[in-house]
Amino acid sequence: MVFLSSASPRMGSVLAASAAPAPPLPPGFGLPPLPPPATGSGPQREAKNVLPNPGAFEQCHQKCKGNGSGASEGAALRLEVTGSFSSSEVFPTQVNGVRLVLNKALSKHFQVNHSLQLSSTEDSGYRFGTVFVGSGQAGPAEFYPVLVGDVDSSGSLNAQVIHRVTDRIRSKVVFQTHQQTFVTWKADTEFRGEDFTAAVAFTNPDVLDDSGMVITHYLQSVTPALAMGGHLVYRRRPGDEASFLSLVGRYTGSNFVGALTLGWASVQASYYHRASDKLQLGVELETGAFLEDSSVTFGYQLDVPEANLQFKGVINSNWVVGATLEKKLLPLPLSLVLCSFLNHQKNKFHCGFGVVIG
Amino acid sequence: MSGSNVKGSFPSRVSAWISSTYRFATDRNDFRRNLLVNLGLFAAGVWVARNLSDFDLMSPQPVT
Repeated sequence: MVFLSSASPRMGSVLAASAAPAPPLPPGFGLPPLPPPATGSGPQREAKNVLPNPGAFEQCHQKCKGNGSGASEGAALRLEVTGSFSSSEVFPTQVNGVRLVLNKALSKHFQVNHSLQLSSTEDSGYRFGTVFVGSGQAGPAEFYPVLVGDVDSSGSLNAQVIHRVTDRIRSKVVFQTHQQTFVTWKADTEFRGEDFTAAVAFTNPDVLDDSGMVITHYLQSVTPALAMGGHLVYRRRPGDEASFLSLVGRYTGSNFVGALTLGWASVQASYYHRASDKLQLGVELETGAFLEDSSVTFGYQLDVPEANLQFKGVINSNWVVGATLEKKLLPLPLSLVLCSFLNHQKNKFHCGFGVVIG
Repeated sequence: MSGSNVKGSFPSRVSAWISSTYRFATDRNDFRRNLLVNLGLFAAGVWVARNLSDFDLMSPQPVT
C-alpha cells in the first residue's frame, strides 16, 4: 500500500487500526517463529508452543480482494486515511473518470482531505473527509481511537469510529447517510483471545420496525499455520427472517496463504502467493448458488521501488482485463494513478486517471 | 478400405472432440459447467502462482 501523506508517521499508521494490515506482515499472518531448541524442563517447553492469535475474520481473503462485506468500508477507509488508491490487496481497484485527492495534515492527530471526482459512470462531485487519530498506542503501528468521516456536496455522510476498549476488545461503529436518511448504522465488537478471535456485529437494528441483522464470527487457531472458524448471519425483516452459516479455513505457509469459505449458497476460495519482495500473485474463486454464477480472478502486483512504481493487473473468467499503475512523482508530493478495465464480453471499456497530492 | 475409413474418421473424431470441448468450455448457460471450468482455472492459477513466479525483474541482463 502506498501512503503518500507528508504527515507524521502516526498519521501514516492509522490504517493499522482499521481492517487492512500494512506490510511488514502483522502478527498472526505469517508463520510464527520456530521455538528455540528444547533445553529446559517439560513445562517450560510446553509454554513455548502457544498458538498465535489468528487475526480478524475479514483478513482471511483480504490479501486478494478483501472481504465481501467489508471491502467497501475498507476501501473507503483506506482512501480517506491514506489518500491513496492503492491498497494492500493484490487486485487493482477500479478508478473511473478523473479523481483528484488533496491531503493535508493539520497536526499529528488530525488530517483533512478533499476529493473531487468527475465521471460519466459514477456520481461526480466533491467530498470532504477528516481523520482523527488519538493518543492511545496499542502497538508500534497501531493507534486509537480513530475517527474517520467524509461528507459529499449533497450532505451524505460516511463516518467510522474505531476504538480499542481494552487490550483484547476492539469496537467499531459505522454510520452512513444518504442526504437526510440513515442508510446504515452498524456496531461491532471484536475480542481477541490467545488463540482465537470472536466478533459480533449489529447492523441496522430497528426495534420499531422489528428488523435488523446480527453477524457473528469465530476464528480459532488449530495449528500455528491453520485457522478454522465460522460465520453466522441472522437477518430479520417484518414477516421474514433468515440465517446463513458458513465455515472458513485458512492455511498460512512461508510465503502463501490459502483460504476457503464454504457457505450454504456460496463458496469462496482464494490463494495468495508472495513470490518475492516485488511480485505478489493472487487467485480467487467465487461461486454463488443463488445467482448460479461463478468466476475466477487472477491478479498480480508488481512493486518497483527503484522507480517508485506499483503496477497491478487482473484477468477474470468473465472476460474482464484490467490494470492500474501508480507512480510517485518524487520529489513532488504527488502520486499519479492510471487505470483501465476492459470487458470483452460486454464490449465496455473504462479508464481512469487520478492524482493524489500530499 | 476399412483402414482408410479408420484413417479418415480419426481426424474427424478429433475435430469433433475439439469442437465439443470448445462448445462445453464456452457455454455459459450451464452452472455446473461454469463451476467445473472455474475450478480448473483456479487450480491452474494456483499452479502458475506457485511455479511461474520465480523470476527477478531487476536482475542484470545477460551479457552477450
